[in-house]
Amino acid sequence: MQAYCRDGFLIVTGCFSFAVPLCWVSVCLAGRCSVPLVGSPVPGTLLVLSDWPCVHRALGLYVKGNMADPWQECMDYAVTLAKKAGEIIRGALKEEKSIMIKSSPVDLVTETDQKVENFIISLIREKYPSHSFIGEESVAAGGGSILTDSPTWIIDPIDGTTNFVHRFPFVAVSIGFVVNKKIEFGIVYSCVEDKMYTARRGKGAFCNGQKLKVSGQEDITKSLLVTELGSNRDPETIKIVLSNMERLLSIPIHGIRAVGTAAVNMCLVAAGGADAYYEMGIHCWDMAGAGIIITEAGGVLLDASGGPFDLMSRRIIAASSRPIAERIAKALQIIPLKRDDATN
Amino acid sequence: RLIYELLFQIIRKALTEEKQVSTKTSAADLVTETDHFVENLIISVLKEKFPSHRFIAEESTAAGSKCVLTDSPTWIIDPVDGTCNFVHRFPTVAVSIGFAVNKELEFGVIYHCTEERLYTGRRGQGAFCNDKRLQVSKETDISKALILTEIGPKRDPATLKLFLGNIERLLKAQAHGVRVIGSSTLALCHLASGAADAYYQFGLHCWDLAAATVIIREAGGTVIDTSGECSTPVSWTFGGPRGCFRHLESPQYSPPVAQSHFWQCLAGTSALSTRLC
Repeated sequence: MQAYCRDGFLIVTGCFSFAVPLCWVSVCLAGRCSVPLVGSPVPGTLLVLSDWPCVHRALGLYVKGNMADPWQECMDYAVTLAKKAGEIIRGALKEEKSIMIKSSPVDLVTETDQKVENFIISLIREKYPSHSFIGEESVAAGGGSILTDSPTWIIDPIDGTTNFVHRFPFVAVSIGFVVNKKIEFGIVYSCVEDKMYTARRGKGAFCNGQKLKVSGQEDITKSLLVTELGSNRDPETIKIVLSNMERLLSIPIHGIRAVGTAAVNMCLVAAGGADAYYEMGIHCWDMAGAGIIITEAGGVLLDASGGPFDLMSRRIIAASSRPIAERIAKALQIIPLKRDDATN
Repeated sequence: RLIYELLFQIIRKALTEEKQVSTKTSAADLVTETDHFVENLIISVLKEKFPSHRFIAEESTAAGSKCVLTDSPTWIIDPVDGTCNFVHRFPTVAVSIGFAVNKELEFGVIYHCTEERLYTGRRGQGAFCNDKRLQVSKETDISKALILTEIGPKRDPATLKLFLGNIERLLKAQAHGVRVIGSSTLALCHLASGAADAYYQFGLHCWDLAAATVIIREAGGTVIDTSGECSTPVSWTFGGPRGCFRHLESPQYSPPVAQSHFWQCLAGTSALSTRLC
């Protein structure tokens, strides 16, 4: 089983036997961190004098007590990067923009998207050279989008590029950090509003220091939903998107909102301002940061089909409660989409 | 100005408390104690200062007051625009106050409660947001436009089909996007500040439009009826059979291009008509 030390290097453990007391040292590839393991107080176990969860995982042991968080440093760094990226975006909002298009005439990208992504990735790479990246603009330029067990940064430099182009004030930097295919922390910085949303697995979700809690609403007829129309202008897709909205509105529900960015929509649900978000057609970089913010605020993530949430599936339901999520899944007709990790 | 300070405090306080919610015309047409309280407060303060003035306000009208615009100086009030948002704590809620004399809109004030932004417009003197001058965008091409709208409270199948059909047409015209924030007055303020290019809606009321119309016009935009007819300051009428409004921002030098394409998109929707009051 592979495990990584706090610097992101692979731990190679030496031979040992559970039955025999051993005193030895585990050294990571770069030789930069070492952990002394001492004695065997109980047959079949090893006493570990380390507070690194990565080491514990490698040895298959459970250790009680205060464990230092190996990814807290990464998260703190990500917050400072998100803040700086937000400054770049705010500055660029005031200027003229040259707009390019990607998969359709309404799928927009600007130089700022690329500049911010390069800025974030290059600085992370300098500090954590062994980490992997999935970034929206890198993928558009041909980079890979397969998720491995490696510590991976999943980045959307500007979520809400259409809003950015129009100066409609909902624009966010989204950073999700995934290890062993599990989201460890997420950051969404809504830079025009200056709202920094963060969540660390097991430690709650926050916006500018204030703890977040979902609404807890379980009755769909009293719910306010958020979604987007998307950038796909294929007539068949538009029909499905609108008929899904029609079915939900007819239940009836209180209403539907669309602010133009998946990440901010999800943060609004996490803050309790709306009861659920659903969309089909977004990408892993839209969901990785905000997904954990929702779960840490007490919400649930579900696939649009009603099954378990899949980060690479291009679909999500993020709700304040399971009953609401399941009711939405019931109403949705699925749009066929190519997965983010499709190889063909 | 003093009224606004008072109002801001009341609304901010109410936003954090539990709300007693009831419904009006449908299960999605909500009203709370705060709507009533704020409206009564505004009207009583203004009545004291201007005893001869008239009032048209959302909750008074729902309670049976007449909704007729005369030549008298008249205050047109929406105490909480975005009540559904307010109930859910979705942070887009505003107070809207417009003022008309001789059936002409003289000024409008819209206060964004959670962001603490004050939008104002005075006929002939420009539109502002917290002292920053407002200017609409210069977009004329619908395929580069960001469009705002609201769903409204009606949930009957015919209305929903019409509403979604209009969105379909706009998407097919390759509009950059459609946004819904839940407060028509604040959406119109985004339009006035150039952050969006057009707003349309069927089923608005005069209290949603009064202040925003002044603000948009003073920011250089156009306010017209959904039939495509340009409205002079007097012809957007109260109590008319249509009561449907659309605000299209477009620069003075080429209105026909933007507008005609827009009307084509929404053709066939004139079947929907709602009385204003």
